[in-house]
Amino acid sequence: MANISLGAEVVMPVEQRRGYWSSVVRRFLRNPVAVGCAVVLLALILAAIFAPYLDLADPYKGSMIKRLRPLGTDGFPLGTDEQGRDMLARLIYGGRLTLYIGLVPVVLAFFIGTALGVTAGYAGGFVNTLIMRVVDIFFAFPSVLLAIAISGALGAGIINSLVSLTIVFIPPITRVAESVTSSVRALDYVDAARASGAGAFTIVRVHVLGNVLGPVFVYATSLTSVCMILAAGLSFLGIGVKPPEPEWGLMLNTLRTAIYINPMIAALPGIMIFITSLCLNLLSDGLRSAMNVKD
Amino acid sequence: MLVYFLRRLLYVCPVALGVSIICFMLVHIAPGDPLTSVMAVDATAQEQAAMRAAYGLDKPLPTQYAIWLGKAVQGDLGKSIASGRPVADEVGRAVKNSLMLAFAASLLAFPIGTSLGFLAGYFRDSWVDRLVMSIAIAGVSLPNYWLGIVLVIIFSVTLGWLPAMGAGAGDWAWDLTHLSHLVLPAVTLAVVPIGIVARTMRALVGEIYSMDFVQALYAKGLEPLDVLRHVIRNVAPTGLSVMGIQLGYLLGGSILIETVFNWPGTGFLLSSAIFQRDLPLLQGTILVLALFFVVLNLAVDVAQAAIDPRIKRS
Amino acid sequence: MLKKALRQASFAVALPFALMLGATGHAYAGGTLRIGMTAADIPLTTGQTDQGGEGQRIMGYTVYDSLVEWDLTSADKPSGLVPGLATEWKVDETDKTKWVFKLRNDVTFHDGAKFTAADVVWNLDKLLKSDSEQFDQRQAAQGKSRIPAVASYKAIDDYSVEVTTKVPDATLPYQLSWILMSSRANWEAKGKSWDEVAKSPSGTGPWKLTAFVPRERAEMVPNTAYWDKARVPKLDKMVLIPLPEPNARSAALMSGQVDWIEAPAPDTIPAITGAGYKIVSNAYPHNWTWHLSRLPGSPWNDIRVRKAANLAIDREGMKELLGGLMIPAKGFFPPSSQWFGKPTFDVKYDLDAAKALMQEAGYGPDKHMKVKALISPSGSGQMLPLPMNEYIQQSLAEIWIDVDFVVVEWNQMINLWRAGATDPGVQGAMSINFTYFIQDPFTGLIRHMASELKAPNGTNWGHYSDPEMDKLFAEIKNTFDPEKQDEVMRRTHEKFVNDALFLLVTHDVAPRAISPKVKGYVQAQNWFQNFSSITME
Repeated sequence: MANISLGAEVVMPVEQRRGYWSSVVRRFLRNPVAVGCAVVLLALILAAIFAPYLDLADPYKGSMIKRLRPLGTDGFPLGTDEQGRDMLARLIYGGRLTLYIGLVPVVLAFFIGTALGVTAGYAGGFVNTLIMRVVDIFFAFPSVLLAIAISGALGAGIINSLVSLTIVFIPPITRVAESVTSSVRALDYVDAARASGAGAFTIVRVHVLGNVLGPVFVYATSLTSVCMILAAGLSFLGIGVKPPEPEWGLMLNTLRTAIYINPMIAALPGIMIFITSLCLNLLSDGLRSAMNVKD
Repeated sequence: MLVYFLRRLLYVCPVALGVSIICFMLVHIAPGDPLTSVMAVDATAQEQAAMRAAYGLDKPLPTQYAIWLGKAVQGDLGKSIASGRPVADEVGRAVKNSLMLAFAASLLAFPIGTSLGFLAGYFRDSWVDRLVMSIAIAGVSLPNYWLGIVLVIIFSVTLGWLPAMGAGAGDWAWDLTHLSHLVLPAVTLAVVPIGIVARTMRALVGEIYSMDFVQALYAKGLEPLDVLRHVIRNVAPTGLSVMGIQLGYLLGGSILIETVFNWPGTGFLLSSAIFQRDLPLLQGTILVLALFFVVLNLAVDVAQAAIDPRIKRS
Repeated sequence: MLKKALRQASFAVALPFALMLGATGHAYAGGTLRIGMTAADIPLTTGQTDQGGEGQRIMGYTVYDSLVEWDLTSADKPSGLVPGLATEWKVDETDKTKWVFKLRNDVTFHDGAKFTAADVVWNLDKLLKSDSEQFDQRQAAQGKSRIPAVASYKAIDDYSVEVTTKVPDATLPYQLSWILMSSRANWEAKGKSWDEVAKSPSGTGPWKLTAFVPRERAEMVPNTAYWDKARVPKLDKMVLIPLPEPNARSAALMSGQVDWIEAPAPDTIPAITGAGYKIVSNAYPHNWTWHLSRLPGSPWNDIRVRKAANLAIDREGMKELLGGLMIPAKGFFPPSSQWFGKPTFDVKYDLDAAKALMQEAGYGPDKHMKVKALISPSGSGQMLPLPMNEYIQQSLAEIWIDVDFVVVEWNQMINLWRAGATDPGVQGAMSINFTYFIQDPFTGLIRHMASELKAPNGTNWGHYSDPEMDKLFAEIKNTFDPEKQDEVMRRTHEKFVNDALFLLVTHDVAPRAISPKVKGYVQAQNWFQNFSSITME
């Protein structure tokens, strides 16, 4: 996860037209890989949301005598962890927290970054300079470094992780939103709307946002896998989620030494991170081509 | 060119200043008194006040910042709370090791990533493309710190081919022992940039091959190799900038890998700074790394402008 | 430049094969022992070490000596005190606060300076006298709390020192065994700067520090002129490498990068022994506990809650987690201790009794007790802090105690332990998970619970105060007859257990994993170890 580029990509505004969304859905459904990934992710998310109703073992309660049982043990289909807790339950509840701190910062950053970017791009001039130069400063930090610096200073904890990761993802989203907004603003029909006396708010709402949200959304989805791996990394280091919460990165950490006894169990959280982030990446690629956003 | 360079340099200054403000603020967003761990445990209120004064913590924030910046510019980043040693020395030693690791990983990642990307871009939508892209996406999706642990167990513990930890005894030297220490961490670190570089290159190459001018070159009867040369020339500026930024990410992002391999670099330093709540050390390390990244970006931009004259005027 | 780098890169590709050759004979001479430590940094080298017991063991009693030392030659019995730089000591018959220590007259520092009574005074000033020129904040932070009895000291002649205690205190020799003697001449030669001394220190110990790279490595060679000929090291060299990450430590041993690791992670032990390495362990006076805050407002002030917590932990289950490498706690001292006595509160696993006590104290399924606990993910003698604490957290959840962890690094934890429960740095934690050296009356009992030692004046972390307890402590200090003192010790320990003053969890057995090539090592029943008898095959 160490070095995923957050470089703002050059995103072209999408021409808005009738039937656009239905054609997006059609194109998306024609891509079996992306649909497959969407199904897997949906399953993971549903499992995470409805975990309490799934009749799982208590993810916090273990028994030392039953620790590190292998896969397929009676009553523990995915074995047990170093505290003798049911791995299946830990992984599903772990997905809950992992997806939460993997997705929430991107969602928050999506709103904040879009707002900043659209403001900067539409207002131009001094406001633009002010916002974009501050963004540049945050851009001067490699994302991992910034996340670790802020989390390291604030200390471990879910809220602190959310804060630091949100800060990490606001600048790239702002940049993309700003660049799309600037190019939309220069389009003829926006000029026309302005000339006809429409207020700034209306123009932004009607003409700008419609064009900006798509590409920014696609870009944001491409950040989710980065964010999730980064969040798991923070927990792995001990500055993310605190024990005993089940979280995949933290589980990788606490199961590290068990790799000599039961490597499969120790590998499971890593595999979950891998599958989820793979699906997020492929889904994002699928969305990108379905929405005709060029990179 | 010189004008471009100067303008770009001028632009770096406020960014660097902003970076320093963020680093400075790290200590102040941290909960608790940064001096708790240096203070003698039985310090009286008076001694505590004296200590705060000695560290300049009694002054208003902007003044503190000015003093800190003034010292930092002269290479004085203060003293580590945990070890009592000057932060600049600690960071200096660690940066050397991290640079070594980042360069080694780049030497692996960039050629491999570029070749894979070219292959995929050239044979777009064929099975080669799909294979390469699968590898690339897998590389980007893999938690590499975990891969590192697995590699150690395979190559150090089970096979006994490579050392499991550290950078080797004494100062770095170009010998077998030291190089052998570099192999596993560098390979682990290279996995993600291989994926990113391959994806970027594929997109660039694919796009250029589908452009009209390439078709025109073919029509003019140019050999595929000659066409390739044109393509490379067009891909180079963007490719270079992606790789430059990746190098920076490698340097700033190796913290997890360094922890796994006990590699005595900046990442290792950062993780001990975080757990010892050694804020001056945290601050100093982040500052040095971020400034390095700023300079690297500058160098990449300038290099890009040098090979691609179109950029200069934009 | 680039060309060279490229050449090296192509070289790197061929490397794995070349290394197969390299790894078969990891090219060191037979006489070098490489130790993987659990600390993240080389312990402070200037004299009084940091990094807890591990620092004192590996950097303290190797490079330095103290006036009184531990007998580390036997693995079969608890070790006692033996003469170190002092040949004998006794308390004044009439004034029991005055002690005279007679010093060896044949000792020189590594730099060649002679060791005399003036050096003892100079070193004590270094720790205690904050206006002395040689006062060192870093060493004082480590040494001061070790010798709370000391009121004043003076040199009587070149080879005798008089130490006066604040009140009569029979435990003084134990306290002084912590205090290490650094060379004044060396400090002066280094421009009176401890930072410079750190790079090339000088003590009187059996080992000389020859190389020191912060956070990476320290190297020692034998001091052939050592005063105790029996303890002149047989090795050619000893190398210390900080390896805080347990997997990296085990992997380093199994790949032949070190010959000896401290505290191998229990889960790696089957792999380590499977690969032909040995695990050595022995009982020693160690206690892994939760020291409870007794400040107003702490839920631990209720004896029912304390007893309930002690009854809620299934220590046999924890043993499983530690691969059998622990002795379940029945009291504060290990059950085999001469000071255990006959406490009436039986420390065992009894969940029903625990729940009943909690309900009596007003808690229950609808009213949980919420409490913060200070823990560290690593540390000297801390065994497996994260999973063990998680295990306790789970156990306590059974009796409606919800524990929230405050996680800090080990050195920071030591600072917070010294600072006490009132320090803002503990972030409201009501307990600290600490590992105790309980080798003598002072470190074993007195320092944790004496009212005059409330942190930060001493290490009564939780600010416990009980006149009855203080009376027992006074009796220990005033009983100069060893057998009678043992009897008082037993009574005091009974009170420790009956009042459930700690969350009593376990005693460690100091596992170490060593290569079969390491010969001649005798693991003493002590925190400290003798490295002099070791040879490498």
